[in-house]
Amino acid sequence: MWFEFKVAVRFLKSGKTQTLLILLGITIGVMVQVFLGSLIQGLQKSLVNQTVGNAPHITIIPQEKGPENLISPRGEEGFRIITFDSNRGGIGRWRSLEEYLKKVDGIKAVSPTIDGSAFALRGQKSLSVIIRGVDINAADQIYDISDRIEAGDPTLGGNNILIGNELAKELNLSVGDNLNINTSMGIDDNFIIAGIFDLRSKDLNKSWIIISRDRAQTLFDLPDQVSNIELQIKDVFTANDIANIIMSENTNINAESWQKNNQQLLTALRSQGSSSLIIQIFVIIAVTLGIASVLAVSVLQKSRQIGILKAMGITSSRVGLIFLIQGGILGTIGSIIGTAGGIGLSQLFVNLVRDEMGNPLFPIDIDIAFILISISIAILAGMIAALIPARNSAKLNPVEVINNG
Amino acid sequence: MARIIVDTNKLVKVYGKDIKNEVLHGISLKIEEGEFVSIIGPSGSGKSTLLNILAALDRPTSGRVNVNGQEIDKMDDKQLALFRNSNMGFVFQFHHLLPEFTALENVMIPNWIAKGSPSDEVKQRAIKLLDLVGLKEYEDNLATQLSGGQKQRVAIARSLMNNPPILFADEPTGNLDTESTDKVYKLLRNINKELGTTFIIVTHDKDIANRTDRVIEIVDGNIKRDFFI
Repeated sequence: MWFEFKVAVRFLKSGKTQTLLILLGITIGVMVQVFLGSLIQGLQKSLVNQTVGNAPHITIIPQEKGPENLISPRGEEGFRIITFDSNRGGIGRWRSLEEYLKKVDGIKAVSPTIDGSAFALRGQKSLSVIIRGVDINAADQIYDISDRIEAGDPTLGGNNILIGNELAKELNLSVGDNLNINTSMGIDDNFIIAGIFDLRSKDLNKSWIIISRDRAQTLFDLPDQVSNIELQIKDVFTANDIANIIMSENTNINAESWQKNNQQLLTALRSQGSSSLIIQIFVIIAVTLGIASVLAVSVLQKSRQIGILKAMGITSSRVGLIFLIQGGILGTIGSIIGTAGGIGLSQLFVNLVRDEMGNPLFPIDIDIAFILISISIAILAGMIAALIPARNSAKLNPVEVINNG
Repeated sequence: MARIIVDTNKLVKVYGKDIKNEVLHGISLKIEEGEFVSIIGPSGSGKSTLLNILAALDRPTSGRVNVNGQEIDKMDDKQLALFRNSNMGFVFQFHHLLPEFTALENVMIPNWIAKGSPSDEVKQRAIKLLDLVGLKEYEDNLATQLSGGQKQRVAIARSLMNNPPILFADEPTGNLDTESTDKVYKLLRNINKELGTTFIIVTHDKDIANRTDRVIEIVDGNIKRDFFI
C-alpha cells in the first residue's frame, strides 16, 4: 500500500495541470453540494420553525362525541328525562394524562390549557378574543410568553391577565388598566392587565388573552377540567408517530399533530427536498465523469511507467490500486477544499442576502453529518471514477510498452 | 559443470487467433549459471519473442520453459509477476526509468514492489549500486535530468536491486553513442564477473555480440547458430 500510495502521489504531482483541473472540478462540485444542502436545510428548518417553533406540535383534545341523544329512552315510570350535558367536552382526567405525557419519549413541553371565547369590552368597543387559561411556566415552553413581554410582568394569578400588543393598541390599554371581559356564556368580570406581549403573530397579538388556568376554570365553569393539552416535541417530524402512540395508549382522546394540519407546507418541503436531491445527484455524476475522464487520459499517459512497473514484477491488481488511490486522494482533497468553500459561500450568502430590515433571510444550517456524508460521497465518487481507468491499466501488457519504447 | 539456469524444450509461440502466425518453431536451448550470452538475429526473427518468454513476460503457446528451477510456462500472470520481481533484472533499450522518481528511488523500486515499504538498509544498498555504476553523485536527480548513458546505467543499477540470478537486456546500447556503449558494456561484464549474474542480451549490434561469451543466432523462429567465442 505504501508503494502504491507513493506512486499515486508522484503521478498526481507530475501532471500538475491535470491534477489541479480535477481538483477544481471536485471542489466546485462539493462546494455546490454543501452550499445548496445547507441553504435548503436552513430554509426548511426556518420554515418549519416559523410554522411550529412557537406553536403546539401535538394537541390533545377530547374525543368528539357524536350528537348526543339528549332524550333518554322511555323511563320505567313512563317519564322521559331531557338532560343538558354540562360537560362541553373537556378533559377531566388531565392531571394523570399530564403525568403520562411528561414521560412519553420525545416530548419536551406539556401545557394543559383551557380555551374559551369571549368579548373584551372597553368603552363602545367590543372585540372578540380567545381566553387561554394556562400555567405560565408550561406555556412558556411552547410560546415563550415571558420572554416576549413588551411591558409589565408575566405574573398571572387572581384577576391578572396578559394581552397582546395589537389588542392593547386597539383598545388603547396599558399595563395596570382594567379590562371587562364577557364570556360567551354571559359571565362578566373585570381583569387587570399585568403585561403586554408580542408573540410575533398579528393574529395572536390581537386575539389572545392569557390568564391563569385556575381562573379560567372558574370563568368558564369547568372545574378541574382542561379543554386541551398542547405538546411540543423534540423532533417536529415525529409528531405523527408520537400522536399515534398517544392515541393507542389512551382512550377517549384525540391527538392532532401539526403535520396533519400543515399538509401543504410539508408537501412543499418534500418537493423542495427532492429537487435539491436531484440537483445534488447530477452534480455528483458530473464530478464523477470528470474524474473518470481525466484519470482515463492519465492511464494512457502513464502506460509506459505502468509497463515498466509490471516488467519489474508489480501485479495488475496493485497497478489498479494506484489509480484507485489517485481517485481517493483527489476526492479527499477536493471535498475538503470544497466543503470549506461551501461553508464560506453559505456565510457570504447569509451576510450579503438580507431582508428589508437588514436581517439575514434565514439562518444557514451547517450540518456536520450532512458535510461528512458529502465528503464521503465525493471520495467514493473519486474511487468509482477511478475504477474504469484502473481496470484499463491492469489490462496493459508490459511487453507492448517495452517494445514500443 | 555449472547449474543449468535456463532450459527450454521445443518452444513454440503462435500469435493471432484467426490468422495464426507462428513466430518460434520449437526452440530448445540450455544456458548455464554465470554465462554471458547474446541473442542475435534480424528484426522479425523472433529473438525478442524468445527473450520475452525467457524473461517471464510472456508464455509460450507450447513447449516447456524452466528458469532458475521453476516451470514458468505454467504460471498465471500474478505468479509470473512475482517470479520476475525476485528472479530477473531488466535493462531495456529505451532506458525506461520512471520520470517521476529520482535516480536513487528508481533503483529502489524493485525492492519497494517486493517489500511494499522502504528501509534504510535498502537505501544503503541502492546507494552502493549507484556507486557501482558510477552515478553516486546523481542520486537525487530526477530521471529526466540524466543523459541517455546515465539513464541506462541507473537502469542497470536498478536491475541488480533484488539480487536477481539472471539479467535480461534488450538492445541495452541501442540508443547510445560509442563511448556510452563501451561504458555500459564494461559495466555489464564487470557485474557478470563480480556477482556471477547470468546475462542474456538481445542485440543486433555485431560488435557487442562478438564481445559476449556465446552467441545464439535466431533466424525465422529457429536457432540458426549457437556458438562460443
